[in-house]
Amino acid sequence: MFKAVSTHPSAEPKDIRWFYDQYAPMLLGYINGILQDHQKSEDHLVVILTSFIKDVVILQEKSKLNIWLELRQYAQSKLTLFTAKDHQLKPNPSLNKGRLDLLDDLQKRIFCAIYYHGKSISYLAATIGCDESEIRNQLKLSIDKMRRKSGN
Amino acid sequence: MEINKIIESGLMETYVMGIATEEEVKQVLSLKKEYPAFKEALEQLEYDMEVLAQSMSIEPPADTLSKIEHEINEIQRRNQAIQPTFEPGYRHEKSEQESKHEKYIQVESESNQMRVNKAWKWVFIAVFVLGKVFLASAIYFYLENRQAQEQIKELKMEIKQKIR
Repeated sequence: MFKAVSTHPSAEPKDIRWFYDQYAPMLLGYINGILQDHQKSEDHLVVILTSFIKDVVILQEKSKLNIWLELRQYAQSKLTLFTAKDHQLKPNPSLNKGRLDLLDDLQKRIFCAIYYHGKSISYLAATIGCDESEIRNQLKLSIDKMRRKSGN
Repeated sequence: MEINKIIESGLMETYVMGIATEEEVKQVLSLKKEYPAFKEALEQLEYDMEVLAQSMSIEPPADTLSKIEHEINEIQRRNQAIQPTFEPGYRHEKSEQESKHEKYIQVESESNQMRVNKAWKWVFIAVFVLGKVFLASAIYFYLENRQAQEQIKELKMEIKQKIR
Protein backbone atom coordinates (compact mmCIF):
# COMPACT_ATOMS: atom_id res chain seq x y z
CA MET A 1 0.00 0.00 0.00
CA PHE A 2 2.75 2.41 0.95
CA LYS A 3 4.61 1.81 -2.18
CA ALA A 4 1.47 2.49 -4.11
CA VAL A 5 0.90 5.75 -2.28
CA SER A 6 4.45 6.93 -2.34
CA THR A 7 5.89 5.95 -5.64
CA HIS A 8 2.84 6.30 -7.79
CA PRO A 9 3.04 9.69 -9.49
CA SER A 10 -0.54 10.53 -8.71
CA ALA A 11 -0.93 9.01 -5.26
CA GLU A 12 -3.99 6.81 -5.34
CA PRO A 13 -6.82 8.60 -3.52
CA LYS A 14 -8.18 5.18 -2.58
CA ASP A 15 -4.92 4.32 -0.76
CA ILE A 16 -4.75 7.69 0.93
CA ARG A 17 -8.29 7.19 2.13
CA TRP A 18 -7.42 3.74 3.46
CA PHE A 19 -4.36 5.11 5.22
CA TYR A 20 -6.34 8.02 6.60
CA ASP A 21 -9.18 5.84 7.89
CA GLN A 22 -6.70 3.51 9.52
CA TYR A 23 -4.34 5.94 11.17
CA ALA A 24 -5.71 9.50 11.28
CA PRO A 25 -7.85 9.01 14.43
CA MET A 26 -4.97 7.27 16.22
CA LEU A 27 -2.54 9.97 15.17
CA LEU A 28 -4.87 12.78 16.20
CA GLY A 29 -5.26 11.15 19.62
CA TYR A 30 -1.50 10.90 19.86
CA ILE A 31 -0.80 14.47 18.72
CA ASN A 32 -3.44 15.77 21.09
CA GLY A 33 -1.66 13.91 23.87
CA ILE A 34 1.47 15.90 23.10
CA LEU A 35 0.03 19.32 22.25
CA GLN A 36 -2.95 19.23 24.57
CA ASP A 37 -4.79 21.56 22.22
CA HIS A 38 -7.47 20.20 19.94
CA GLN A 39 -7.34 22.88 17.24
CA LYS A 40 -3.54 22.85 17.01
CA SER A 41 -3.60 19.04 16.95
CA GLU A 42 -5.92 19.03 13.95
CA ASP A 43 -3.65 21.45 12.09
CA HIS A 44 -0.59 19.36 12.85
CA LEU A 45 -2.45 16.19 11.83
CA VAL A 46 -2.88 17.54 8.29
CA VAL A 47 0.77 18.61 8.03
CA ILE A 48 2.22 15.42 9.51
CA LEU A 49 0.02 13.00 7.56
CA THR A 50 0.69 14.85 4.31
CA SER A 51 4.45 14.84 4.72
CA PHE A 52 4.45 11.24 5.96
CA ILE A 53 2.52 10.06 2.91
CA LYS A 54 4.75 12.09 0.58
CA ASP A 55 8.19 11.46 2.08
CA VAL A 56 8.55 8.83 4.73
CA VAL A 57 6.59 6.04 3.15
CA ILE A 58 9.27 5.78 0.45
CA LEU A 59 11.57 4.37 3.08
CA GLN A 60 8.99 1.94 4.34
CA GLU A 61 10.63 -1.10 2.78
CA LYS A 62 13.80 -0.42 4.72
CA SER A 63 11.95 0.27 7.91
CA LYS A 64 12.14 -2.29 10.67
CA LEU A 65 9.07 -0.97 12.46
CA ASN A 66 5.43 -1.48 11.64
CA ILE A 67 3.48 1.37 10.09
CA TRP A 68 1.88 2.76 13.23
CA LEU A 69 5.11 2.77 15.22
CA GLU A 70 6.88 4.41 12.30
CA LEU A 71 4.16 7.03 12.01
CA ARG A 72 4.16 7.68 15.76
CA GLN A 73 7.92 8.20 15.83
CA TYR A 74 7.68 10.41 12.77
CA ALA A 75 5.03 12.56 14.43
CA GLN A 76 7.15 12.77 17.56
CA SER A 77 10.15 13.94 15.53
CA LYS A 78 7.98 16.58 13.82
CA LEU A 79 6.80 17.87 17.16
CA THR A 80 10.18 18.23 18.82
CA LEU A 81 9.39 21.87 19.59
CA PHE A 82 6.72 20.59 21.93
CA THR A 83 8.40 17.41 23.12
CA ALA A 84 11.95 18.70 23.62
CA LYS A 85 11.21 21.30 26.25
CA ASP A 86 11.01 20.19 29.86
CA HIS A 87 7.48 19.27 30.54
CA GLN A 88 6.01 18.56 33.90
CA LEU A 89 5.92 14.78 33.30
CA LYS A 90 2.28 14.68 34.23
CA PRO A 91 -0.36 13.38 31.87
CA ASN A 92 -2.82 15.96 30.68
CA PRO A 93 -6.13 15.67 32.51
CA SER A 94 -8.03 16.57 29.32
CA LEU A 95 -6.34 13.68 27.50
CA ASN A 96 -8.44 10.91 26.02
CA LYS A 97 -7.01 8.50 28.55
CA GLY A 98 -8.26 5.19 27.22
CA ARG A 99 -6.42 2.55 29.19
CA LEU A 100 -4.16 5.01 30.98
CA ASP A 101 -6.60 4.96 33.88
CA LEU A 102 -5.41 1.44 34.64
CA LEU A 103 -1.98 2.74 35.61
CA ASP A 104 -0.88 4.12 38.94
CA ASP A 105 0.56 7.63 39.11
CA LEU A 106 4.21 6.66 38.67
CA GLN A 107 3.46 4.30 35.78
CA LYS A 108 1.28 6.92 34.10
CA ARG A 109 4.04 9.49 34.50
CA ILE A 110 6.68 7.20 33.03
CA PHE A 111 4.51 5.89 30.22
CA CYS A 112 3.33 9.36 29.11
CA ALA A 113 6.82 10.84 29.28
CA ILE A 114 8.13 8.10 26.99
CA TYR A 115 5.11 7.58 24.76
CA TYR A 116 4.25 11.21 24.09
CA HIS A 117 7.51 13.03 24.74
CA GLY A 118 10.11 10.41 23.81
CA LYS A 119 12.03 10.89 27.06
CA SER A 120 14.88 8.45 27.57
CA ILE A 121 15.19 5.94 30.37
CA SER A 122 18.24 7.77 31.77
CA TYR A 123 16.46 11.14 31.70
CA LEU A 124 13.50 9.71 33.59
CA ALA A 125 15.73 7.93 36.07
CA ALA A 126 17.47 11.22 36.83
CA THR A 127 14.26 13.25 36.95
CA ILE A 128 12.21 10.87 39.05
CA GLY A 129 15.15 9.80 41.19
CA CYS A 130 15.27 6.06 40.78
CA ASP A 131 17.51 3.70 38.84
CA GLU A 132 17.11 2.87 35.18
CA SER A 133 16.11 -0.75 35.76
CA GLU A 134 13.19 0.45 37.85
CA ILE A 135 12.05 2.75 35.03
CA ARG A 136 12.30 -0.13 32.54
CA ASN A 137 10.40 -2.36 34.90
CA GLN A 138 7.63 0.20 35.45
CA LEU A 139 7.35 0.79 31.71
CA LYS A 140 6.95 -2.91 31.05
CA LEU A 141 4.43 -3.26 33.87
CA SER A 142 2.35 -0.38 32.55
CA ILE A 143 2.31 -1.77 29.00
CA ASP A 144 1.46 -5.25 30.33
CA LYS A 145 -1.44 -3.84 32.33
CA MET A 146 -2.91 -2.12 29.32
CA ARG A 147 -2.36 -5.15 27.10
CA ARG A 148 -4.12 -7.41 29.59
CA LYS A 149 -7.15 -5.15 29.35
CA SER A 150 -7.45 -6.05 25.69
CA GLY A 151 -7.08 -9.75 26.48
CA ASN A 152 -3.38 -10.28 25.62
CA MET B 1 14.52 -20.79 28.73
CA GLU B 2 16.83 -17.88 27.94
CA ILE B 3 14.66 -16.39 25.18
CA ASN B 4 11.68 -16.16 27.55
CA LYS B 5 13.84 -14.22 29.98
CA ILE B 6 14.80 -11.80 27.22
CA ILE B 7 11.16 -11.42 26.20
CA GLU B 8 10.28 -10.60 29.80
CA SER B 9 13.26 -8.27 30.27
CA GLY B 10 11.48 -5.18 28.90
CA LEU B 11 13.79 -4.93 25.89
CA MET B 12 10.90 -5.26 23.42
CA GLU B 13 8.93 -2.56 25.22
CA THR B 14 11.86 -0.16 25.05
CA TYR B 15 12.17 -0.91 21.33
CA VAL B 16 8.54 -0.38 20.40
CA MET B 17 8.42 2.81 22.44
CA GLY B 18 11.24 4.14 20.25
CA ILE B 19 13.72 4.80 23.06
CA ALA B 20 16.03 1.83 22.59
CA THR B 21 19.73 2.55 22.23
CA GLU B 22 21.54 1.57 19.03
CA GLU B 23 22.91 -1.53 20.71
CA GLU B 24 19.46 -2.54 21.90
CA VAL B 25 18.01 -2.04 18.44
CA LYS B 26 20.74 -4.29 16.97
CA GLN B 27 20.06 -6.87 19.65
CA VAL B 28 16.32 -6.82 18.96
CA LEU B 29 16.83 -7.20 15.23
CA SER B 30 19.22 -10.11 15.59
CA LEU B 31 16.96 -11.84 18.15
CA LYS B 32 14.05 -11.34 15.79
CA LYS B 33 15.99 -13.16 13.08
CA GLU B 34 17.24 -15.94 15.30
CA TYR B 35 14.24 -16.77 17.47
CA PRO B 36 10.76 -17.20 15.98
CA ALA B 37 9.30 -16.99 19.51
CA PHE B 38 10.88 -13.56 19.98
CA LYS B 39 9.66 -12.43 16.57
CA GLU B 40 6.14 -13.56 17.36
CA ALA B 41 6.17 -11.82 20.76
CA LEU B 42 7.50 -8.60 19.22
CA GLU B 43 4.88 -8.59 16.48
CA GLN B 44 2.17 -9.20 19.06
CA LEU B 45 3.47 -6.28 21.13
CA GLU B 46 3.53 -4.02 18.06
CA TYR B 47 -0.04 -5.00 17.32
CA ASP B 48 -1.08 -4.37 20.90
CA MET B 49 0.51 -0.92 20.81
CA GLU B 50 -1.65 -0.19 17.80
CA VAL B 51 -4.74 -1.40 19.65
CA LEU B 52 -3.73 0.82 22.58
CA ALA B 53 -3.45 3.82 20.27
CA GLN B 54 -6.86 2.99 18.85
CA SER B 55 -8.32 3.12 22.33
CA MET B 56 -6.96 6.67 22.69
CA SER B 57 -7.92 7.81 19.19
CA ILE B 58 -9.93 10.94 18.38
CA GLU B 59 -12.08 11.18 15.27
CA PRO B 60 -10.77 14.02 13.07
CA PRO B 61 -13.20 16.63 11.65
CA ALA B 62 -14.95 15.63 8.43
CA ASP B 63 -12.96 17.93 6.12
CA THR B 64 -9.51 16.72 7.24
CA LEU B 65 -9.15 14.10 4.50
CA SER B 66 -9.99 16.59 1.77
CA LYS B 67 -7.40 19.01 3.23
CA ILE B 68 -4.73 16.28 3.09
CA GLU B 69 -5.69 15.28 -0.46
CA HIS B 70 -5.59 18.93 -1.49
CA GLU B 71 -2.13 19.38 0.08
CA ILE B 72 -0.82 16.24 -1.66
CA ASN B 73 -2.23 17.34 -5.02
CA GLU B 74 -0.66 20.78 -4.57
CA ILE B 75 2.74 19.24 -3.82
CA GLN B 76 2.44 16.94 -6.84
CA ARG B 77 1.49 19.84 -9.07
CA ARG B 78 4.50 21.81 -7.85
CA ASN B 79 6.76 18.79 -8.30
CA GLN B 80 5.51 18.15 -11.82
CA ALA B 81 6.15 21.79 -12.67
CA ILE B 82 9.82 21.60 -11.75
CA GLN B 83 10.34 17.93 -12.74
CA PRO B 84 12.36 16.86 -9.73
CA THR B 85 15.00 14.19 -10.25
CA PHE B 86 15.34 13.01 -6.67
CA GLU B 87 15.66 9.29 -6.17
CA PRO B 88 14.98 7.73 -2.78
CA GLY B 89 18.45 6.22 -2.74
CA TYR B 90 20.02 9.64 -3.03
CA ARG B 91 18.17 11.24 -0.19
CA HIS B 92 21.37 11.74 1.75
CA GLU B 93 22.52 14.09 -0.99
CA LYS B 94 19.41 16.18 -0.57
CA SER B 95 21.14 19.24 0.90
CA GLU B 96 23.68 19.22 -1.91
CA GLN B 97 20.91 18.91 -4.47
CA GLU B 98 18.99 21.71 -2.80
CA SER B 99 21.99 24.04 -3.01
CA LYS B 100 22.34 23.19 -6.73
CA HIS B 101 18.68 23.98 -7.23
CA GLU B 102 19.23 27.38 -5.70
CA LYS B 103 22.03 28.12 -8.21
CA TYR B 104 20.52 26.69 -11.38
CA ILE B 105 17.19 26.72 -13.09
CA GLN B 106 16.01 23.30 -14.25
CA VAL B 107 15.16 22.98 -17.92
CA GLU B 108 13.85 20.02 -19.85
CA SER B 109 16.13 18.73 -22.59
CA GLU B 110 16.84 15.54 -24.49
CA SER B 111 20.32 14.08 -24.79
CA ASN B 112 21.58 13.39 -28.34
CA GLN B 113 23.98 10.73 -27.03
CA MET B 114 23.14 7.06 -26.71
CA ARG B 115 24.68 4.38 -24.53
CA VAL B 116 25.72 1.12 -26.20
CA ASN B 117 26.92 -2.07 -24.58
CA LYS B 118 30.67 -2.68 -25.00
CA ALA B 119 30.02 -6.14 -26.51
CA TRP B 120 28.72 -4.42 -29.64
CA LYS B 121 32.29 -3.27 -30.39
CA TRP B 122 33.22 -6.74 -31.77
CA VAL B 123 30.06 -6.91 -33.83
CA PHE B 124 30.89 -3.54 -35.38
CA ILE B 125 34.49 -4.69 -36.12
CA ALA B 126 33.21 -7.93 -37.74
CA VAL B 127 30.72 -6.00 -39.86
CA PHE B 128 33.49 -3.59 -40.93
CA VAL B 129 35.90 -6.43 -41.91
CA LEU B 130 33.19 -8.37 -43.76
CA GLY B 131 32.24 -5.19 -45.57
CA LYS B 132 35.82 -4.78 -46.79
CA VAL B 133 35.99 -8.45 -47.90
CA PHE B 134 32.75 -8.10 -49.89
CA LEU B 135 33.97 -4.88 -51.49
CA ALA B 136 37.28 -6.48 -52.54
CA SER B 137 35.42 -9.53 -53.91
CA ALA B 138 33.00 -7.33 -55.83
CA ILE B 139 35.87 -5.37 -57.43
CA TYR B 140 37.74 -8.60 -58.25
CA PHE B 141 34.73 -10.25 -59.90
CA TYR B 142 33.87 -7.02 -61.74
CA LEU B 143 37.36 -6.90 -63.26
CA GLU B 144 37.25 -10.62 -64.05
CA ASN B 145 33.90 -10.20 -65.73
CA ARG B 146 35.10 -7.21 -67.79
CA GLN B 147 38.16 -9.16 -68.92
CA ALA B 148 36.00 -12.14 -69.90
CA GLN B 149 33.66 -9.84 -71.87
CA GLU B 150 36.62 -8.40 -73.78
CA GLN B 151 37.94 -11.87 -74.56
CA ILE B 152 34.50 -12.92 -75.84
CA LYS B 153 34.41 -9.83 -78.08
CA GLU B 154 37.86 -10.63 -79.45
CA LEU B 155 36.90 -14.25 -80.09
CA LYS B 156 33.75 -13.16 -81.90
CA MET B 157 35.82 -10.81 -84.08
CA GLU B 158 38.25 -13.64 -84.90
CA ILE B 159 35.42 -16.02 -85.80
CA LYS B 160 33.82 -13.39 -88.07
CA GLN B 161 37.11 -12.75 -89.84
CA LYS B 162 37.64 -16.51 -90.38
CA ILE B 163 34.15 -16.92 -91.83
CA ARG B 164 34.78 -14.15 -94.38
